[in-house]
Amino acid sequence: MKQFAVLQLSGCAGCEVALLNAEEWLDQYKLVYMPLVVSAYDVPEVDVLLVSGSVRTDEDLYHLRQAARRGKQVIAVGTCAISGGVAHLGERDEVRQLFLAQEGRLHLPRLLPKSRPIDSVMAVDRYLPGCPPTPELFMAALFNPPDFKVAASVCQECGRRKDREMRPEHLVGFLQGDVLPDICLINQGYLCIGTTTRGGCRALCTRAGHPCVGCRGPSDAFIEKESNIWFNAIKRVFTGMTNIPAEEIDHELHSPQLALFLFQFSDYAEPVNSADPVRPPRSKDKVL
Amino acid sequence: MTTLVFPLSRIEGHAHVSIELNGGEVVSARFQATELRGFQYFVHGVPAQQMPVIVPRICGVCSTAHQVASVKALEDAYGVTPPPVANKIRELLLIGQLIQNQATSLFIFTMPDRLGVASIFQAAAEEEGSDKERAGIATRALQVRKAGTDLISLAGGQFIHPVKAVVGGVTSGIQHEAAVAMHGQLARALPIACELFDYYWEMSLALRERIGTWGDDEPAYYIASTDDTFPNFDSGILRVMGPDGNVNDCFPARAFRSYLTIEETEYSYAGQTSFRGEVLRANSLARINMIRCMGTPRADEYLARFQEAFGRPAHAILLFDLCRGIELVYALERAMELLEQPLDAADTANPHTPRDGEGFGMVEAPRGPLIHHYRIENGLIAEAEFIIPTIHNILAIERALRVAARRYITAEKVSLELERAVGRVVRAFDPCIACATH
Repeated sequence: MKQFAVLQLSGCAGCEVALLNAEEWLDQYKLVYMPLVVSAYDVPEVDVLLVSGSVRTDEDLYHLRQAARRGKQVIAVGTCAISGGVAHLGERDEVRQLFLAQEGRLHLPRLLPKSRPIDSVMAVDRYLPGCPPTPELFMAALFNPPDFKVAASVCQECGRRKDREMRPEHLVGFLQGDVLPDICLINQGYLCIGTTTRGGCRALCTRAGHPCVGCRGPSDAFIEKESNIWFNAIKRVFTGMTNIPAEEIDHELHSPQLALFLFQFSDYAEPVNSADPVRPPRSKDKVL
Repeated sequence: MTTLVFPLSRIEGHAHVSIELNGGEVVSARFQATELRGFQYFVHGVPAQQMPVIVPRICGVCSTAHQVASVKALEDAYGVTPPPVANKIRELLLIGQLIQNQATSLFIFTMPDRLGVASIFQAAAEEEGSDKERAGIATRALQVRKAGTDLISLAGGQFIHPVKAVVGGVTSGIQHEAAVAMHGQLARALPIACELFDYYWEMSLALRERIGTWGDDEPAYYIASTDDTFPNFDSGILRVMGPDGNVNDCFPARAFRSYLTIEETEYSYAGQTSFRGEVLRANSLARINMIRCMGTPRADEYLARFQEAFGRPAHAILLFDLCRGIELVYALERAMELLEQPLDAADTANPHTPRDGEGFGMVEAPRGPLIHHYRIENGLIAEAEFIIPTIHNILAIERALRVAARRYITAEKVSLELERAVGRVVRAFDPCIACATH
């Protein structure tokens, strides 16, 4: 039986919980390491090593380096492993001082200056974006079925109807009151970026009436490009479908709840040391 | 001086236990949470309305509780209350979380201790030739758990980090056909859950004989925000029960600082709570000690059996685990009751106008009362506090660890059983480290 392991760095365990929501792997893979559900001291040699969470503390860095060579194939799962994730919000200048105050704690892993993606430490074979990825996507990552292809965008999976007559003048803001069923959220004035966000999630959020926040990252067309190109594409969608001023969209695109996700492929990591070369963009062929 | 360090697994998050010895004498036992992302710091300056999207990411295990608590904190600040149908859907959301969490804690985190294996999935691989209760145990455990996950998806729109609870209500109702299908799934999960729980109960009794006691039996104070008659995960009132079983202190979430002392330490990224200098306990045992009946038939049978065997209030720590089983059965039954009511109303949210101010939001999460407290200035978060149930248990965990350490450490040797005892003690409290450190 093939073996796999899950290395959990600093994160919320949502990716692991998502994996536990699938059971197709039970009779084909042996889970040999995943501290959430297995008592084992170390990552053994495995066929597939999944890494979730970001490199936030020196302990994360140590564990990642230890595990780095033990997987024949290494998959980075979730926004945190791919870009640093929600902890990335701590890198804003106005809150950095608050983190520095934590540094003096004795007997604890030290916080690194940045929340780092795992491929700043080790080579990664594949990327599975999502916050968290769905169980279906986890199974696709493990089993790698030859004919599996994710939908190009969340929009394609959403099923809400676009309405040419409904052209909102302003964004209604996130989360205000009832949402009309069946009608496109953009027509209703929500900043939904499902039009250009990578599909494969089955559009769970938008179907439930919540605008897509882009947790799967950009679709293939934008993955190897800088984020501004993606931003411009989003703005063009809103110009085409609404009368909302471009500045309003621009401002909201830079708000924290989207910033969590929008930079996960483009502009994702400056070199760790200023002397290091800038890494090339990750290939879209590696992204599930 | 010698320090023994025990890494922890089958709990949520990164933590270990350090026990300091001098000769055969136990000097200290510490529970160390070793991760920190810093949510209370980095949400500074975030538009308040975005909190319900950001803060569920504190924890993928408890994301539902965080989403609802966050929405309620904003509602408190904005002065809006949801319509009744929205409250029912939110209750379903919290109940779904309870099913998922208690099934995970019982059958995935702590069942391996009863079976003597490293993981439930290992038990599955070894099932050839073992007794029939063990056959397919992982598959059945995942099936019960999935009923909770699917209920969260139905009521919350997402299986983790839900999206449907919004300020003023929920984004949409639940259609009749979807409710019927979910009801059927829960009805199929209930007997499986009972069967697994019966087996778990039996294996727990066997464990009692092996380790001699159920762990630290010293009475403690208990904290929960459930009602004193029936379970209620949205009562708005915190209750503290004394070791004698009397509830002498009730207070709203916004008054918590007048009753609870929360201290930070140098050795852990998680704080620790005390009540007037006394050790507190939260989570399943606190709720079961506090309520009079579950209000659903199967769960009440288990409750009667529990109280007959262990009394009320019960104090032994391994009883936390059995209480989770009672709550699992209750949650499955209660979810079916709720789904039998009409939930497909068109108006599922009341209008509101955002404003500056202060808000407290509280829910009873699976691990105990969870409070979000925000101060909003110019529409942005000026200050945020997350009062996490796990921190109420830290002193109780450490006290129980000292008892375990003294039992298994002598001047001559350290018994190998200590490591297993440490695991059982910590897992009984089902701590969540991602939450506790946030």
